[in-house]
Amino acid sequence: MTTYIIRRLLLMIPTLLGMTFMLFAVVRFAPGLTTSGGQFSSGIMQSRQAQKQEQLIMERRLHLVDKNGRPINLAMQYILWLKSTCEGHLGTSIVYQEPVLTLIEQRLPVTLTINAIAMAVIYLVSLPGGLITALNQGRLIDRGYGFFSLALYSLPVIWLGSTLLGFFANPQYFNWFPSAGLHSTNTGNMTFFRYIADYLYHIVLPIVCSVYGGFAFLSKQIRGSILENLQQDYVRTARAKGLPESTVLVRHVFRNSLLNLITLTGMSLPGLLGGSVIIEQIFSINGMGRLAYTSTLSRDLPVIQDLALVGSVLTLLSYLAVDICYHLADPRVIYD
Amino acid sequence: MTDLTLSPMNQPVLPAPRPYWGWVAARLFRPLLVRLCAAYLAVLVLIALLVPLMANGQPYTCIVPATASHAAMRDYPLFRDLSSVDWILLVVAGALAVQVVVMSMSRRLAGPQRMMRRRIGAVVITGIIIIAGSLIAALHHNRLDAVNYRSLARHGLITHAVFPPVPWGYAEMEPLSKGLINQFPSRRHWLGTDGDGRDELSRLLWGARIAMGVGFVSQIIALALGIVVGALTGYFGGIFDIILMRLVEMVESIPTFFLILTFVAVYGRHILDIMVIIGVTGWTGYARLLRAEFFRIRNLDYVLAAQGTGMPLWRVLFKHMLPNGVTPVLVSAGFGLAGAVTIEASLSYLGVGVQPPTASWGSMLNSAGNPATVFRWWQALGPGMLIFITVLAFNLFAESLRDAIDPTTMGRR
Repeated sequence: MTTYIIRRLLLMIPTLLGMTFMLFAVVRFAPGLTTSGGQFSSGIMQSRQAQKQEQLIMERRLHLVDKNGRPINLAMQYILWLKSTCEGHLGTSIVYQEPVLTLIEQRLPVTLTINAIAMAVIYLVSLPGGLITALNQGRLIDRGYGFFSLALYSLPVIWLGSTLLGFFANPQYFNWFPSAGLHSTNTGNMTFFRYIADYLYHIVLPIVCSVYGGFAFLSKQIRGSILENLQQDYVRTARAKGLPESTVLVRHVFRNSLLNLITLTGMSLPGLLGGSVIIEQIFSINGMGRLAYTSTLSRDLPVIQDLALVGSVLTLLSYLAVDICYHLADPRVIYD
Repeated sequence: MTDLTLSPMNQPVLPAPRPYWGWVAARLFRPLLVRLCAAYLAVLVLIALLVPLMANGQPYTCIVPATASHAAMRDYPLFRDLSSVDWILLVVAGALAVQVVVMSMSRRLAGPQRMMRRRIGAVVITGIIIIAGSLIAALHHNRLDAVNYRSLARHGLITHAVFPPVPWGYAEMEPLSKGLINQFPSRRHWLGTDGDGRDELSRLLWGARIAMGVGFVSQIIALALGIVVGALTGYFGGIFDIILMRLVEMVESIPTFFLILTFVAVYGRHILDIMVIIGVTGWTGYARLLRAEFFRIRNLDYVLAAQGTGMPLWRVLFKHMLPNGVTPVLVSAGFGLAGAVTIEASLSYLGVGVQPPTASWGSMLNSAGNPATVFRWWQALGPGMLIFITVLAFNLFAESLRDAIDPTTMGRR
């Protein structure tokens, strides 16, 4: 197992190298590379001298020029960027004038809480859904649930999101929910439970939007693995020794089917951290997705590079974690 | 065993075995829902191909009455004003129609000779399409025709004008002075107008072209990349596999939508760019599926036999192995099509999709107003429903295809 982990980690190195190279190429060969940012911090009042100074600092940070202000060639730029990233120094945003790490620290909790709640809801519906449809295979409830969840999966979030917002958070129709943000303005003088209630009230619509599409895939997977397990010999043995059907289903079949969930959960981990660009944009939530979106629009290169880098490292690590967890949960699974 | 017939020699003749794809198609189209989906998608493709003839501000034909300087003459403004892309798509539509007719005719008189003739016919038609398409693209000069034919017809300056069913182009605005922006559906505009006074129905129809175009072209690009990479890694294995799979991992590890956003923001938003970007970011799943299939197939006897006859490699790979491993990839391509339509709509909704005034369902949703203050639900309903039904149809179709080729569901249904 240790050998396997080491081999996987070693194989990650070329992937990451190639990935950083690709990112660097995409971003650096883009027409209209901008270094004169600071739209928010530095105003029009700045002197020309100070602006020039600031641009020089930006170019230094992006490794475009060396200490004396002479331009560096592309290959060297790549190596310098790689070196500083490996040392743990992520870049500094051009637009916000803040380190990317700080930006991520601000945005990550927002996205993480929403996605964690959404994921919990998805599992709460999909687990029983998958079990029930598997037990009623081919019957009306199975087909109905399958069709309904596929229809939900096909429902475009841009339409449902804007329609929910348009009807239920709009003085024109029903002004039931807040239209933007995650907190009321007067959170300062709220008690803890008021604060939580206020938060929950704000995330109802975003949660609805991030939840409904997830049922189809998860319940389908669970249904499939339960059906597969039902045909195993151990089920016949369990029934033959006279166990009640409920025990067979819950204690034997269901638990074995949960093994597949490790893969599914692991695969969705990066998405959990990434956040949905569209939902965060529609509901004006300042999370990771919106950060990614605004930084691509304003061509905030350091943020784009570092977000993609962090995201892909996390993805690769979570794939590895999936395989290890699979081995831990089911010792029969052995990797060479 | 109803198909058993007696030959003149009184020997029972077994019906010819059905080809695999005929068998799959028969199973696939049995449920009514799948037939409905297929019909809907066919209509959508037809709309995408023929939309200039359906929703356009220019009449098919009209007569310019005689004046002092010239005699009365017949004019064809719509056809004169089609762009080269329109012409090429019309030729494609015509060729498709011919193909369908030829196919259905020759199925009735099936036989090896007919098959041969059909194949030659297909080659000839494809050749004609390519020649006609490139000729049109080379010779055609698109011109700007800003004449308002509707008002000319109303004022009697042209007569006998025959307008298309939806007499509005996708970018034609009602004059601001008339106050016809953001109109509720009326007789003049069947689905109302948007914030610039453009006809919603016309834009919906034109949007089908963008959605279908992006969907199909991007998935064809993705399939081509995925099939080549998957076939090579699956067939050769070893160091080849290790290197190419790192490439797959590289593309997979970055969140797709973020990658697409970056590409679009950096490299522009022309419709072709968007097609290529969605294709280039979406091929990894196909590669993985085909690689797994080829691992399974490559040691089967018939592959060894094919190799033994000294065939060139590409023939072994794509003629003998691919047809046996491509079915899971095709199922996945159905879901991929649905995904591509969604991605295009989302990009346009966020304002980084195809450029205005090109009609896209996503940008139409966006222009239905800022949902938190003004929300014109009738403007959002049309594009939203169309995206929903299109995506659902692709998904249902793909799922039914998966069931149809799945041998474990043989006995059921």
